[in-house]
Amino acid sequence: MKWLDRMTEGSGRALARRMSRRSLLAGIGTLLLGAAAVPLLPVARGAEARPPAGRKPATPAADPGDPSSCEYWRHCAIDGFLCSCCGGSQTTCPPGTEMSAITWIGTCHNPADGKDYVISYNDCCGKSSCGRCFCNRNERDTSLYQPGQSNDYNWCSGSTQANIPYHCSTARIVGAAE
Amino acid sequence: MKAAARSATIRWRGRAVFGPLIATLALGAGIIQAAGAALPADVGSDAPTVAILPAPPSKHWVWVNDFVFPHMSDGMAYLVDGDSGRYLGTLSTGFGFARLVLPRDGKLIYSPETYFSRGTRGTRTDVVTIYDAVTLKPQAEIQIPPKRASNVPTIGNSELTDDERFLLVYNFNPAQSITVVDMASRAFVGEVETPGCALAYPTGPRSFFSVCADGGLLAVQLDDAGKVVKQTHTEPVFDLAHDPVTEKPVRGGDAWYFISFAGKVYTVRNGASGPQAGDSWWLSTQAERAQGWRPGGVQQLAFHAGQKRLYAIMHQGPVETHKDPGKSIWVADVTTHRRVARFTTRRLSSAIQLSKDDRPLLFSAFNQSNILDVYDPLTGKLLRSVPEIGTSPTLLLTP
Repeated sequence: MKWLDRMTEGSGRALARRMSRRSLLAGIGTLLLGAAAVPLLPVARGAEARPPAGRKPATPAADPGDPSSCEYWRHCAIDGFLCSCCGGSQTTCPPGTEMSAITWIGTCHNPADGKDYVISYNDCCGKSSCGRCFCNRNERDTSLYQPGQSNDYNWCSGSTQANIPYHCSTARIVGAAE
Repeated sequence: MKAAARSATIRWRGRAVFGPLIATLALGAGIIQAAGAALPADVGSDAPTVAILPAPPSKHWVWVNDFVFPHMSDGMAYLVDGDSGRYLGTLSTGFGFARLVLPRDGKLIYSPETYFSRGTRGTRTDVVTIYDAVTLKPQAEIQIPPKRASNVPTIGNSELTDDERFLLVYNFNPAQSITVVDMASRAFVGEVETPGCALAYPTGPRSFFSVCADGGLLAVQLDDAGKVVKQTHTEPVFDLAHDPVTEKPVRGGDAWYFISFAGKVYTVRNGASGPQAGDSWWLSTQAERAQGWRPGGVQQLAFHAGQKRLYAIMHQGPVETHKDPGKSIWVADVTTHRRVARFTTRRLSSAIQLSKDDRPLLFSAFNQSNILDVYDPLTGKLLRSVPEIGTSPTLLLTP
């Protein structure tokens, strides 16, 4: 756990500008949701992430912009083909694909309400690359040795059913970065 | 006969075409037969042949590794002669291709690869394919656990130990480990668990390290059978909280040169007790950093061992551009830490590589283009450009 403590400390500093301690802990709770299947991995179990009990879902009042555009606010740390251009949406995988259970997260600023949100970039898996609307933005993106915030992995790697062909990426809100 | 001719006729835009086509083919055969007898003595008939490559490989060849992002199941690698710009050959390397590994004697090429029994689905099989470097045909393959990492390719995805006995392959599923393959017996040896640590950077014939999420290093010592005898997690050697390093270092003798998002070079040297932090220094001046100069790209560094020079792709932008391509190449002497040259490239570059000889070439490619540029690394002069090289070229490797 020592390395995880250090990672948390490091990530905490990097995120301090935009995230409170409470939301960071909530985020880590999200990361550890996958612990049963993959012990102590610094990654988000985004597909199964739900707001913690007692907290309201973090749904912004307004969600401005075009989800098929790289400039869409949720795409601040995405790297891949936008599912909105591939038969899915920013929250939905295209038909016949499977959403990765484990993924990386970013923290993006919603210009409509001025708040920051934790975004889970679940990959959609099981078909060859969609090839449309490629988008790579790297706000707070980390290197491959810090996987939880690295957009350079093919996150279909954690899927058992659609074992690793990458198709496109979603951008789901999993919490408010208060 | 008339009925048979009618059934063989194919119509296109209402006109019969198959019958006349047959007649043309038959006529062609007749011409070939007749001409064969009448060829001048110095012109022989063309026998069906398949090209082979000269051996050993030229030091001025480059392997362009292509991730083929729009079609990831069709990874490829292309061999180009930097002197002539001639395209020499291709390897087809499967899904999520990261990189080739080139043993020093130039006789074989190793390639960790992933395949599915139904193309993009079905049973996954990971192998290390061994190609003959002269014929470019697969000569053998070694099956490895189906967990090879799929990521934007980087050098640490797969490397040989210094005596080339063991091939190391990074796994991420998303548990992290390193597969060890014995290339002498051509057999899978086992896995080294590397929880919280990624990629493989060799430091000797039986040792390597991985970089960990806390900025420390996981130093691994192997025995002669490729089994782990010692594993040490060092204290942090990188300042990840303030200015993280990329995972894209280059090797120079006993040192690995890492570079931070802001452009600080960190040296990791292999000491008696394992890898340890060496000297660190800035590639840029404070004024240049204030102007936003920073390194970027997929393969952002290159190193020439003879000249002790470090080459870096540079651009101007905020920290979130730390993977962006650049049009500026900065050259620093790793002994004096002084910048010795700076030049502008014709096109955006996301990958650079130097040939390993005394009169080196500098290769440059951009992963959203398909043009390979060849420069004189001493003057920055563009020597030639080779068009139509792949789809999304990532890593450049020289023999």
